[in-house]
Amino acid sequence: MTTPQPTHSEQQSSSSITVRRSNWFRAILLDWDKTQLALSFLIILLIGLSPLFIDSPYLLGIVILTVLYAYVGLAWNIVGGFAGQLLIGHISFFAFGAYTTIVLLNHYHISPWLGIPAAMIPAALLGAFVALLTLRYGLKLDYFALFTLALMVVLGIVFSKIPFLGGAIGMWIPFRGESWAMMSFVSKVPYLYIALLLLTIGVVVHYAVYRSKLGKYMIAIREDEAAAAALGVNISKYKTIALCLTAALSGMGGGFYVVYTTFVEPPLVFGLPFNVELLVAPIIGGRGTIVGPILGALLNKPVVEMVRGAFSAERAGTTLIIYGSLLMFFMLFLPRGVTGLLEKPHQKLRSYLLRKLESEKE
Amino acid sequence: MPIEILAQTLVNGLFLGGIYALVAMGLTLIYGVMIIINFAHAEFLMIGMYVSFWAFTLFGIHPYMAIILATVILFLFGALIQRGLIEPVLKAPLLNQILLTLGLSTLIMGLAQFFWRAEPRSILIPFASSSLRVGDLILNWPRLIAFIASIVLTIGLYFFLKKTKTGKAIRACSQNRVAAQLTGVNVRKIYMLTFGIGAALTGIAGVLISPNYPMTPTIGQTFSITAFVVVVLGTMGNFVGAFIGGLIIGVAEAFGGLYLGSDVRQVVSMGIFILVLLLRPQGLFGRMI
Amino acid sequence: MALLEVEGITKRFGGLVAVRNLSFSIDRGEILGMIGPNGAGKTTAFNMIAGFYKPDEGRILFNQEEITGLRPVLVCKKGIARTFQVDKPFPEISVLENVLVGAYIDTSDTKVARQNAESVLAFLRMEAYADKLAGGLPVGWRKRLEIAKALATKPKMLLLDEAMSGLRPSETDEMIELVHQIRDQGITVLLVEHVMKVIMSLADRIIVIHHGEMISIGKPADVVKDPAVIDAYLGEANSHAKD
Repeated sequence: MTTPQPTHSEQQSSSSITVRRSNWFRAILLDWDKTQLALSFLIILLIGLSPLFIDSPYLLGIVILTVLYAYVGLAWNIVGGFAGQLLIGHISFFAFGAYTTIVLLNHYHISPWLGIPAAMIPAALLGAFVALLTLRYGLKLDYFALFTLALMVVLGIVFSKIPFLGGAIGMWIPFRGESWAMMSFVSKVPYLYIALLLLTIGVVVHYAVYRSKLGKYMIAIREDEAAAAALGVNISKYKTIALCLTAALSGMGGGFYVVYTTFVEPPLVFGLPFNVELLVAPIIGGRGTIVGPILGALLNKPVVEMVRGAFSAERAGTTLIIYGSLLMFFMLFLPRGVTGLLEKPHQKLRSYLLRKLESEKE
Repeated sequence: MPIEILAQTLVNGLFLGGIYALVAMGLTLIYGVMIIINFAHAEFLMIGMYVSFWAFTLFGIHPYMAIILATVILFLFGALIQRGLIEPVLKAPLLNQILLTLGLSTLIMGLAQFFWRAEPRSILIPFASSSLRVGDLILNWPRLIAFIASIVLTIGLYFFLKKTKTGKAIRACSQNRVAAQLTGVNVRKIYMLTFGIGAALTGIAGVLISPNYPMTPTIGQTFSITAFVVVVLGTMGNFVGAFIGGLIIGVAEAFGGLYLGSDVRQVVSMGIFILVLLLRPQGLFGRMI
Repeated sequence: MALLEVEGITKRFGGLVAVRNLSFSIDRGEILGMIGPNGAGKTTAFNMIAGFYKPDEGRILFNQEEITGLRPVLVCKKGIARTFQVDKPFPEISVLENVLVGAYIDTSDTKVARQNAESVLAFLRMEAYADKLAGGLPVGWRKRLEIAKALATKPKMLLLDEAMSGLRPSETDEMIELVHQIRDQGITVLLVEHVMKVIMSLADRIIVIHHGEMISIGKPADVVKDPAVIDAYLGEANSHAKD
């Protein structure tokens, strides 16, 4: 096809604006995706510096869980946000990962440094299983959501019956002293940095998927399956890939979780409350956005903990009240999440910068 | 396995099924009219139980009298929830609806825990353990009454929907909202009414089981997912299906408990659920999609 | 040289025969117009070629290869692209990203696909809209986007489903020019249309469908004089007049 040279005015694709190297900062700000990515790294950096200011193990614990929830939120966002699938019972993947890591550690003495990445495999297999089944039988939308919930309940019961996995009581990691090799620490600070490492991996993978063919195909499936198919997108294949990616990443999150909290039991990791807790961050942060899950976790977990602290006498129920209220508030008034709120200000910033660029050219 | 045990299991299953049916009927009615999966539905059961508990503890009202109280409270509660919270998201994407009702469910549970503490409470009335003996069968009175009540309510609901003007309006809305509107049906009012009825039915179920179950703020969760199984099995929107489905699941769980052990009872209903979702998602009474 | 050969395809929906024993072929580089009264079966035939329906009988051959009953994904990969009558943009992403989805058809490299997408937008003179959200486009440009997405998949044949409906006369003229340019690129075109002006200015040949059957095929000048065709259209008009 002959390619006539296109004429671009300043209002167009920021990628085609020639930007002097010293204006890379401006270049990032002009692209909403890149801005979000930069924001993600900034948050990671700030959290990384937090041990300089935070001593209390209690507060550090909150930060660690916030980071983990952000990571799991990013994982969910791939199939739930980019591909737009109604994945509700995704804690099963997290649970598979947790059990994998603890079994490898307790029964086979394999270090979590291997055990956590290894957690991706059973989780991804479960993801493939779910994808296969739901695609084969055409389970969509609410039926898909209900299926994942039913699976969660069944798996919970099954796991509680297997002695090798600790049965109904679950499994725990006994403290055998400080050990880098076994990821066993007295202080919480090393766990924070491991969590941040996980989050960084999550951010990079998440963004890479978004900008790649994979990401575009997933978004196409979300927006309009029929149109996507007519453009050569193999719907089943990409839905499966999306689900497996989410599952694998969630599995790693579960692996870290069990090493950090040293405990896992079926009612916890196959239970709806924990599932909802993991779901809140990407939803209120902004489903399908790049920084949404991180912002959502930042908003969610610390707020929950602070309110819990304030009501220390009446602990029961405060967590649930906050999660429930947050979910409802956002679904009613801010369905696009926190990131959605930031879109307009960014657009204004962008117009301002573009006008400045134009005036600079003169 | 001796026949007496099988028969008893069957009876237990039917009684349990009657309760499932009541919860599911409310849920399916709401789904049929508004096409929304109400994850908060089982919390209405929990509230019904607590209404019964507080009425008994504070005022000495017998649970069965509390039914009237529960009906009124839950009907209003349901109608208000529909008007204030559900109505705005009816046009929103499915995930938003699901998350809204999930959030509502979480919130209600949290509030119950906060105000009413998390420990189990019970209504202690001697009546709770009295039974009727029919041959070798032991029919626990409260459960029997609950079962009869569920049949009565089902029949009542059936006639309400088929014969009364309001009932027909509800059915019209579930079949074709736009056409119903064109014939002068106030759809908004019907939505509120339906949600209220659905909530009330479930609340009544809560009162009915209050003599037999300890109440905790999370008791709704136990019934929640089973209610979904029943609704899907009986075809979404079909309340007769919900009744029959409820009985089937109740009996299945009872026998599951008998042969597999009571802690894995849920596997049976979940197993049925998964099979139905995979092989016959339109339920027993639906047409092939 | 026939690029598309349709041999005796039939499609039934329940008791209704939507398309009956339809046969025709399209030559490489040709623009074939498909017309017919409402409900004649044009869209059904169109959708069978595009893979959305599976023919109950008959065969469809593309480039001498059998594509009967292939799903839309595979039909696209074989080199047939289609637009939708009611356009189906991906509303939440930009115009460029919309076209990018199509451009990934033969590559996983984002740079390469992006270049392809940008040149398609340039060809359609849509560069100004590259970063605009597809959901907010005005009607005329939405129709262009439909075509842009399809063209990005580097098709050998383009199926246009009423791509001109709802356009202003000036927009229609632009689109006609566009389809000519598409053909000049070597792409064969099958277009289903109601707007006669479009058909007469574009089509090398016209095929007329009525009650699911082909009642005429040939050069535009000949087809409009064909008594069977006049009968079909006038017959429609008459039956309306009687009501």
